[in-house]
Amino acid sequence: MAASNIYVGLEIGTSKVCMVVGEVRSDGAIKILGVGQHPSAGVRKGEIVDPETVQTCLHDALMRAEERSNVEVNTVFLAVTGSHVQSLNNRGTIRVADEQMEITPEDLEEVKKIARDVPLPKENGYIHSIIQHYYVDGKDKIPNPVGMLGQKLEADYHIIHGVKTRIQNAIKCVREVPLEVEDIVFSPVAAAQVVLNREAKNEGALLIDIGGGTSDYICFIDGAVVASGCVPIGGDHITNDIALVLKIPLARAEKLKVNHGSASLKGMIDVEIPVEGESGRKVSQELLNQIMNARVTELLSVIHEPLAKAGYLSRLGKGIFLTGGSSLMRGISDLTEEIFGIPVQKSGAAAMSGPSALFENPQYATPVGLIRYAQLLDEQKPKRGPLSKLGEKLEKFFGGGK
Amino acid sequence: MIEYHQTEQGEFSDTSEFGVKVIGIGGAGANVLDRMALEGSDDAELLTLNTDIRALSTSVSSQKIQLGTTLLKGMGTGGDPTLGKQSAIEAVDEIRKAVRSSKMVFVCVGLGGGTGSGAAPEVCRIAREEGVFLVVFATMPFTFEGERRMGQAKSALDQIARYANAVITFDNDRMGELIVPKDGVAQAFAAADKIISQSIRATMNVVFRPGIIRIGMDDLLSALDAEDSRCLFGYGVAKGDNRSHEALEQALKCPLLDRGKLLTDARSVLVQVAGGDTMTLFEVQLVMEEVAKHVGKQTQILFGTGTDKRLGNSLTVTIISSITGPAASSIRAAQEEEAAAPSISLGMPALAEIPERTQPISPLASIPVSAPAVAYSSEPEAELEADALAEENPIFEPEPTNDSSVFEPLEDFEVPFVEDEPIVPAYAPDPVPPLHRAPVFQADPEDGSDLVNPIARAMGGTPEHGFGSPPPFPPQSSGNEVGRVEALTESSQKITLSRVFGSGGTGRIKTRDPLAPALDGPVLPTGKPQGMPYEELDAELTSLEARQQQEMLQLDPVAGRGRFAKTDPTIVDGEDLDVPTFLRKKK
Repeated sequence: MAASNIYVGLEIGTSKVCMVVGEVRSDGAIKILGVGQHPSAGVRKGEIVDPETVQTCLHDALMRAEERSNVEVNTVFLAVTGSHVQSLNNRGTIRVADEQMEITPEDLEEVKKIARDVPLPKENGYIHSIIQHYYVDGKDKIPNPVGMLGQKLEADYHIIHGVKTRIQNAIKCVREVPLEVEDIVFSPVAAAQVVLNREAKNEGALLIDIGGGTSDYICFIDGAVVASGCVPIGGDHITNDIALVLKIPLARAEKLKVNHGSASLKGMIDVEIPVEGESGRKVSQELLNQIMNARVTELLSVIHEPLAKAGYLSRLGKGIFLTGGSSLMRGISDLTEEIFGIPVQKSGAAAMSGPSALFENPQYATPVGLIRYAQLLDEQKPKRGPLSKLGEKLEKFFGGGK
Repeated sequence: MIEYHQTEQGEFSDTSEFGVKVIGIGGAGANVLDRMALEGSDDAELLTLNTDIRALSTSVSSQKIQLGTTLLKGMGTGGDPTLGKQSAIEAVDEIRKAVRSSKMVFVCVGLGGGTGSGAAPEVCRIAREEGVFLVVFATMPFTFEGERRMGQAKSALDQIARYANAVITFDNDRMGELIVPKDGVAQAFAAADKIISQSIRATMNVVFRPGIIRIGMDDLLSALDAEDSRCLFGYGVAKGDNRSHEALEQALKCPLLDRGKLLTDARSVLVQVAGGDTMTLFEVQLVMEEVAKHVGKQTQILFGTGTDKRLGNSLTVTIISSITGPAASSIRAAQEEEAAAPSISLGMPALAEIPERTQPISPLASIPVSAPAVAYSSEPEAELEADALAEENPIFEPEPTNDSSVFEPLEDFEVPFVEDEPIVPAYAPDPVPPLHRAPVFQADPEDGSDLVNPIARAMGGTPEHGFGSPPPFPPQSSGNEVGRVEALTESSQKITLSRVFGSGGTGRIKTRDPLAPALDGPVLPTGKPQGMPYEELDAELTSLEARQQQEMLQLDPVAGRGRFAKTDPTIVDGEDLDVPTFLRKKK
């Protein structure tokens, strides 16, 4: 694996195409070598609707990334998202053969196979199966049961799956650039690698990545993923709402949102804001905030509901981490705290070396997270760690190599 | 003073007076039933459900229902559970009628195929809606039948577990291992069927035999209540001098017990010794002493004995237990808990509320005064249903009502649309599992309290659990708006009219939003007997809402979807989230 310590993360987002080239040093530290990004077009709600336009953007981003990092990019880790991505938890159980007693890696494979054996819709394929906990003879939360004595081995898996054809479309789009896709990663899984540290994962944390077209979330409790998902609403919707309600063009709505808008209705001073480019037209701050507040409240409620129902919210010791471009919105922390009743912090990727001041910006959490994910994947390959690789179709392509 | 029914003791009561029904679904279920009939089913009524008319015609059970008469035209499902489910839905009325007369239903089914996996969950759902005590004996397919069948079986089992009070699973793999080292295939299957039929009968006998030392449903549940359980079952009958020893020997020889070795690990073991009038205390003692040798020190022995004239000179020993077993899958563990919990949660409130508790079970009847028109117009129907149920099931689970939140918004519904309501009577599956309102099984009126009480006591703190964590409801009915609209029945039409007119229609439509969480949330108890009013309400809402969206587009051109016009709509709780929230909420 000669070139394997340089990884490239690619996120084709609704607002931007972003490619990050990172080097993983022998001591495990990550250095970001270069970033290429380009405003995105042809993507709606996290999914590619116009492959040709996307390829142009992608090509541009690729050029910049190669230029800045001085690395020739051949393969990438691709972040995927979209409303079709769903998740579920399942437990697999096997009985260890009587004469054997000691649990072997093969048993783990077996139990994983059983845990993954859930009836998915026919058109869906696995994106991730992430181990949560092992149980040996009913004793819970064993991180690595290999070598333990036991008769019954159980494993809880968090399974993330999505519609195969939609994921393949994204892969196809990247392949035609041409770039090879080494693995696909559900966006929040990648973002969590850099936004949440081990402590946060262990004590319980909810990461909400509010992007341009989608809001993805992932919830960690006791160091394991318990819930994840994608709500196809993001910053785009807010802009669209403003444009439709105020009957102004999208570009002006976007400016209003970024420069003046707030998701919270608290502490607002109702002033008249002049709309740029339209002489004399003014918009009330109150109305603008109300539009944004209604949308963000609804979005957060959609995320809140299943998590509250499952009882996860009370176990989030580290609270909520907001990331993604739309988390830069004013007032969103207050509103999130109000809805979830849990402390909220905005967060980007944790510090790493390189021209990285940039990467503490929450907009880059996912692409940088892809590098970290790739690193983890590589580290754990020999012993088959929690973030093992899936994507059946990919396995076909990389059949012998992986 | 506790009443003491001297006369009933020691006599075998007739199970038929309790309305026990054994339902066999699909090929495997029919085989078990045939086996039961062959061995002389005591008093339970046997009912076979199948899609395949040929298989059905050879069945010897007294009642038969053909599933999917029009859908499949007498053919089998070809292993497709969807077809099985559809065909069960087609025969829903017949099934409902058949289970209605029973208080206790045993369902035996072979999972993995089309009819079994597809129809069984539906049958269980219907049975629970009718408020019977439901015990399911499910056979899991052989591993060699392939992963797909296993998957179908597991998902069916999952659904069944939501409805059943207790699920006992037989693993075909295990059966093969234990019974048939060299026997022929036919014998192997016959033996498997025999075991199942025996356990059904034993369960029935154990529970219904009044006995000197009585065993009730509570004991049975506790015997089957292991964390991750595999059912152990043994039954022996013998005559002659040494009958007690022989009967026990036979019971222990039963393959599922593995010569009693497996009993060592069991947490509790239920043993019933029954015999004719000649049975002596010494014999009972002998049996129990021998049983004690096979179980661990910590094991709780649930012991029962009774005499039954019909047994004559023979003596029977029945052993039922469960162990945390390898053959049991994790689904089973969850399901055992789930199955046990609801039945338990019923116990307490049911007892407390026996008197004058007929009306409030229908949500329509308990509408607060704030919506008098609604309450008035729907009252007769509610009473009707309540009464109908009251006759069959003396004990109801009362429900915490928060109906006001559900019904108030109705006042804002618009009038003009109501008249064009399409009337397409069709069957719509109940979106909410009926767990919490299944009445407690009552063995006989006098003993009812005795039976219910221990259940509640034995399970200690579980009642809250039963309420607090209802399983996720089946997804089949959500999101299918078209289907729902069609599900309107004539009666719902009536209600709609009366409600709307009664509330004096302000001519404004309120969005469904305030209703949606209440309707969809599993916390909301539905608690009406036939699952009807909610379906109607829901269908009605959906149809109203469908029209409302249409109207919105016509009347308010601004409320378009802007840049998302060409994308797949994002529908959550019936709202198109691409339309600005601000505009939707303002309405």
